[in-house]
Amino acid sequence: MTAAAQPSARPSRPGPSPVVPIGVLGFLIITWLSLSDQFGIGLDLGGLIEDITRGGGILGELLSPNWEFLPRMFDPLVETIQIAVIASVIGCGVALPVAFIASRVTTPNTPVFVIGRSILSVVRAIPDILYALIFVASAGVGPLAGIAALVMFNIGVVAKLLSETVDGVDVGPIEAARAGGANRTQTVRWSVLPQVLPNYVAYSLYTFELNIRASTVLGIVGAGGIGNLLFTQYRFFNWSNVSVIVIALFLLVIVIEFVSIALRRRLV
Amino acid sequence: MIRFENASVTYPGGVHALKNVTLEIPDGQMMVIVGLSGAGKSTLIRAINGLVPLSGGDVTIDGASVRNAKGRQLREIRSKIGMIFQTFNLVKRTTVLNNVLMGRLHNTSTLRSMVGMYRPADVEIAMRALERVGIVEKAYVRAANLSGGQQQRVGIARALAQEPKILLADEPVASLDPPTSHVVMRDLQRINRELGITTIVNLHFLDLAKIYGERIVGMRAGELVYDGTGAQADENVFRDIYGRSLTADDVMGEASTTAAAAL
Amino acid sequence: MTRVSGESRPQRPSQAKRNLALLGAAIVVAWAALTVEIEPGRILELPGGIALVFYEMFLEKGPDWSYLPTAIDGMIESLQIAWVGTVIGAILSLPLGFFGAKNVSSGLVSNVMRQILNAIRAFPEIVLAIAIMIPIAGLGPVAGALAIGLHSVGTLGKLTAEVVEGIDDGPVEAARAAGASSLQIQRWGVLPQVLPEIIAFWLYRFEINIRAAAILGVVGAGGIGFSLQQTITFHRYPLAGTAIVVVVVATIAVDTVSGWVRRRIIEGAGAKRVSEIEEPTLAVTTGPS
Repeated sequence: MTAAAQPSARPSRPGPSPVVPIGVLGFLIITWLSLSDQFGIGLDLGGLIEDITRGGGILGELLSPNWEFLPRMFDPLVETIQIAVIASVIGCGVALPVAFIASRVTTPNTPVFVIGRSILSVVRAIPDILYALIFVASAGVGPLAGIAALVMFNIGVVAKLLSETVDGVDVGPIEAARAGGANRTQTVRWSVLPQVLPNYVAYSLYTFELNIRASTVLGIVGAGGIGNLLFTQYRFFNWSNVSVIVIALFLLVIVIEFVSIALRRRLV
Repeated sequence: MIRFENASVTYPGGVHALKNVTLEIPDGQMMVIVGLSGAGKSTLIRAINGLVPLSGGDVTIDGASVRNAKGRQLREIRSKIGMIFQTFNLVKRTTVLNNVLMGRLHNTSTLRSMVGMYRPADVEIAMRALERVGIVEKAYVRAANLSGGQQQRVGIARALAQEPKILLADEPVASLDPPTSHVVMRDLQRINRELGITTIVNLHFLDLAKIYGERIVGMRAGELVYDGTGAQADENVFRDIYGRSLTADDVMGEASTTAAAAL
Repeated sequence: MTRVSGESRPQRPSQAKRNLALLGAAIVVAWAALTVEIEPGRILELPGGIALVFYEMFLEKGPDWSYLPTAIDGMIESLQIAWVGTVIGAILSLPLGFFGAKNVSSGLVSNVMRQILNAIRAFPEIVLAIAIMIPIAGLGPVAGALAIGLHSVGTLGKLTAEVVEGIDDGPVEAARAAGASSLQIQRWGVLPQVLPEIIAFWLYRFEINIRAAAILGVVGAGGIGFSLQQTITFHRYPLAGTAIVVVVVATIAVDTVSGWVRRRIIEGAGAKRVSEIEEPTLAVTTGPS
């Protein structure tokens, strides 16, 4: 082995790519800035540990839930489910045509497509609670504002996912439909929709799960559902009531997720 | 009668795919177009139903200009022209019948087609089309579950469901094995003869072209370089069209002794 | 029609199962729509109300740009909350995700870990902030960052476990055959395979966390949410308009940059396509909430 060693055989070690060190450095700087007292949120681990011992009393209360509070939760929980169901149906229904507008495959008209995509990214950039705030301001306190907020939220999620699915469909059937004299709506209905329908159903069920989770908190700003009750109990420091609500929410979310996953498996 | 009058096509990239083509195709003819890939065969076919817009000249069908047709007018022209594709272009996730019913969309209101309420008469036409290509027993099967040859027959049924006067076939057998190719080509020939539908087929394989082409048109670099009967087209003619000597890839061979003898 | 041989037309297959499922769904929807307590009149007023608020926010006098510095300060704090939360989530979820992967840890451990991660995921960030983090850390951005961090542990841990379970076993076997220790196998056989995808998930989570951080201020957990709530609740719409513009611009900007980086990472690693990563079954387990 030693005899065959030719100096030219070994490559020199390649210089390190600058991308990784720059990325790591950037990461460290942003993290340090974000954590610092002066520029950031001021997270300090020592103080936090102190806080945990100080917050022990509250945690103790949280660990002893007040079960007598349960009956008062029934109506708001039902309203939470109602909000999620109605918003899912409307939101996913509206998202379907929006997704076709926001895909180049189904909207070859460039200005329409660009406007569609831009509106969609603005819709997506606004968080659901912000929608709830705006709708409570314009429609008053109650489940209507919650439904409207989740509808906007769902359009953002489903239309985005679905338009990306539409981007990837087989375009052959589209050409076939056009060659057969079908108009644009018919082409989308029979060449594109059947290709993306299973995905659409999956996205819709997934959105329903998200809605259950989201509708639990919309009430914090007055948009109906259990969140209002949660927030009131929190503001009056009734930690053992907060605890019951959180446990109930947890169970609701888990049950809905089970149902949704089971349905998705059977349908898709 | 289909008539090309100095028809030209230039693609956005600047490719000159069709150059001043003048051509007449009388009703009921079975015409085969041969040429290398990129010679403009697909463009020529797609100029007939306006899937590719012309940049010069015109194509007329029974006197009606394809170039000037827009919207509803264009869809009406297209409704009389069935089309068959190399990759079948079926919606694989839906049933065979739904695929064939796409051939009836031109005759179905948007509202009806949105909810899938086709008229019974249209369903009947689709069923008959499936019977004609011998695959009606698969009507409620998902297209994805069919073999390539079966999928192409569904493609033919979809075109027939339009009750067309013209049938365009763009490399209909390029994705199929030799025996299946002959089945599909014989289907097309039968349809041409029995129903009197003008049939225009792009083919790469010369032996198939000679067997099934009543008339053969050769294309090279967007121009017509040959126009004659299948019988006249011998090896020299093809060499001329292709601009090179022939190779084994240019004939389908196998499964057809007549094909081998023909060349 | 000549070639009609003996073959007969098939029966239309029964649609009963599908119809039953649709009927079931329709009943649930009808129940929800008919029993929810909304006065029909208010539905009609909704579009007008929204239009009026929109008009006052953006059109009447335009957004009040004097509020811009306050809004930007709030948004920066939200971005920092999201960043710190994502970092906490990323650091903690990496080992937990490995424990949650069947092919790396044992069956029992992975099952228990998956259930714990699922349980964490079930709580929206706002609930975590109210019920755990604010009691511990007090009002302010630290509570927000911790709430987002904890929730992210759940989502990122699940994704990490799924990615690890999907790896190519070859390199693991090779490392084991070469006598590597268990930890060495993870470091050299597994981590290089999964890291690009996991980093892409972290970035994607950061995008989602920005939306969450933008609203945590509603419950006093820091960031621009407080400004949004105050200005909207007290009908100071021109100020709210400014804050909303800041949220939208910042969110879209971060989405764009982060999306670009994600694509680079994934393509560079030759791993899965980005769109696959964004499939909900794989990626997002909770949206902004």
